[in-house]
Amino acid sequence: MNINQQHRLKRYFFKGGHLFLLFIAMSIICLPGLWIVLNSFRPTVEIMAKPPVWIPNSLSLEHYRAMFGSVGQGGIPVGRYFMNSLVISLTSTIIAMLVAIAGGYAFARYRFRGKSVIFVTFMLTRAVPGVALSLPLFIVFAKLGIIDTHFGLILVYVAMNVPFSIWLIDGFFRQVPKELAEAAEIDGCTRWQAFWKVEFPVAKAGIASAAIFAFLTSWNEYALASQLTRSVFSKTMPVGLLDFTSEFTINWGGMCALAVLMIIPALILTFIVQKHLISGLTFGGIKG
Amino acid sequence: MLLLPAIIILLAVVLIPLLLSFYSSFTPYKLTRPESLYKWIGEYNYVKLAGDVNFWLAFGRTVLLLTIALNLEMLLGLGIALLVNRVTWGQRGLRTIMMFPMMFSPILVGFQFKFIFNDNVGLVNNALQSLGISDQAIPWLVDGKLAMFSIIFAEVWMSTSIFAILILAGLFAIPKDPLEAAKVDGCTPWQSFRHITLPFLMPFIYIALAIRSLDVARAYDIVKIMTNGGPARRTELLWTLIGRTGYVDAKMGLANAMGYASIILAVFFTVYFFRKLSSARATLGFDT
Repeated sequence: MNINQQHRLKRYFFKGGHLFLLFIAMSIICLPGLWIVLNSFRPTVEIMAKPPVWIPNSLSLEHYRAMFGSVGQGGIPVGRYFMNSLVISLTSTIIAMLVAIAGGYAFARYRFRGKSVIFVTFMLTRAVPGVALSLPLFIVFAKLGIIDTHFGLILVYVAMNVPFSIWLIDGFFRQVPKELAEAAEIDGCTRWQAFWKVEFPVAKAGIASAAIFAFLTSWNEYALASQLTRSVFSKTMPVGLLDFTSEFTINWGGMCALAVLMIIPALILTFIVQKHLISGLTFGGIKG
Repeated sequence: MLLLPAIIILLAVVLIPLLLSFYSSFTPYKLTRPESLYKWIGEYNYVKLAGDVNFWLAFGRTVLLLTIALNLEMLLGLGIALLVNRVTWGQRGLRTIMMFPMMFSPILVGFQFKFIFNDNVGLVNNALQSLGISDQAIPWLVDGKLAMFSIIFAEVWMSTSIFAILILAGLFAIPKDPLEAAKVDGCTPWQSFRHITLPFLMPFIYIALAIRSLDVARAYDIVKIMTNGGPARRTELLWTLIGRTGYVDAKMGLANAMGYASIILAVFFTVYFFRKLSSARATLGFDT
């Protein structure tokens, strides 16, 4: 009896500790984001208040209104930035996917000389730090006159996304049994038809998640965008975020509002893709 | 054939610019004087770097940051994954919350923690003061050591979730038989964790490390916005130093020489983890 009670006590103790630790971990993950969202709705006076105001007295859309307002009133051309980000990310994602589907298929289905060397080289190009790459790109783009254009940035993001997408898509094509395509070919399909009618539909979900991953990478990229864009015509949102900081003051509320605007599309996309993303990453790695 | 588009775009956007930067690292190239690109000065830039204290400090700090951050991320990720794995209900929700930091743009993470660690209006100082733990503002981002701590905190916050999610995927995939056999044979929980669970998880940990290593320079964005290398170069990393030398001082040649140091560092991390990954795979008996 006594031993039983001890055991039970110990179990409760462990369970409580477990829940407590879990709670702490989850709060640390969630709080910073919530803090930003909360502050985007609070008037500047309250953000700056000393002693701090913990329970908001009033919520307002002040910062959102200012952000979309005209430039003179402390607003920044958010609409432009948003469109720039959207156009650049979408276009580069679509192109990167076409290139990566071809590449991933080649890696998954064909044997050729130097396969692993090419694969590792691809991965290494992804590992080059953005800042280091931005220096020569800046020189080349300045010579070609494509600095501060959508085209330049799209080109860079396609190259950035291709290696990792190939890794993911390669993993997804490997999950499709080879026999499936072979059966289609025996039934009279060409290789091309077999790909579009059999293998592509099966791997579609995986390709979609690779696409969303590529989109997010372009959407969030800063190191290269900050050097290769100069004006409102091509600045993306991460670069625009820095418009709120001046030499000595920072418009916290405005920055929070823009941050919320930036995170919403990413949030939605990540929720859609989460399941496939995990399986794609692990499959690509374990069986690659 | 199918790989051709991928190879062309990577050649054009990554490899050729890198060759150019390699060439220009042997010239005194300055953005303000284009003709200096054609003057060959041999390994002068590299000799200058080798004797530059600031460069070596930044280099050492970068390696230190990466080592601490990657290890912490791995341990915390393992911890969180084990905690979530034991939860019996609401696991899906928890997993979704875990993906939260992954969708944040690094520049956003930097801004967020710049706000939270702000000495005047930040969440941390507000909380400490309201709880009466500290009666004065702690200069989180102004003091050199604390600033480094804050940066590591931000970096770990951003990247731990990748580890947690992939390790969790590994935990789901563990076969149950060996664990039960170990229990029957009288292993303690620690023993079965150490000798069964952990070896099985190793490939998943290395996948996470390999994915992270492709992107180690992401910390640039965080540092750039949080401290920009300050105060007085106390948090200067290799990447911020490159950006400063290249764009602010316009010494492109020298910056490119530094860029090569950072590229070699990134390549080292990537190759190291990819090799670990394939050897961990081999011990588990997955074919390659």
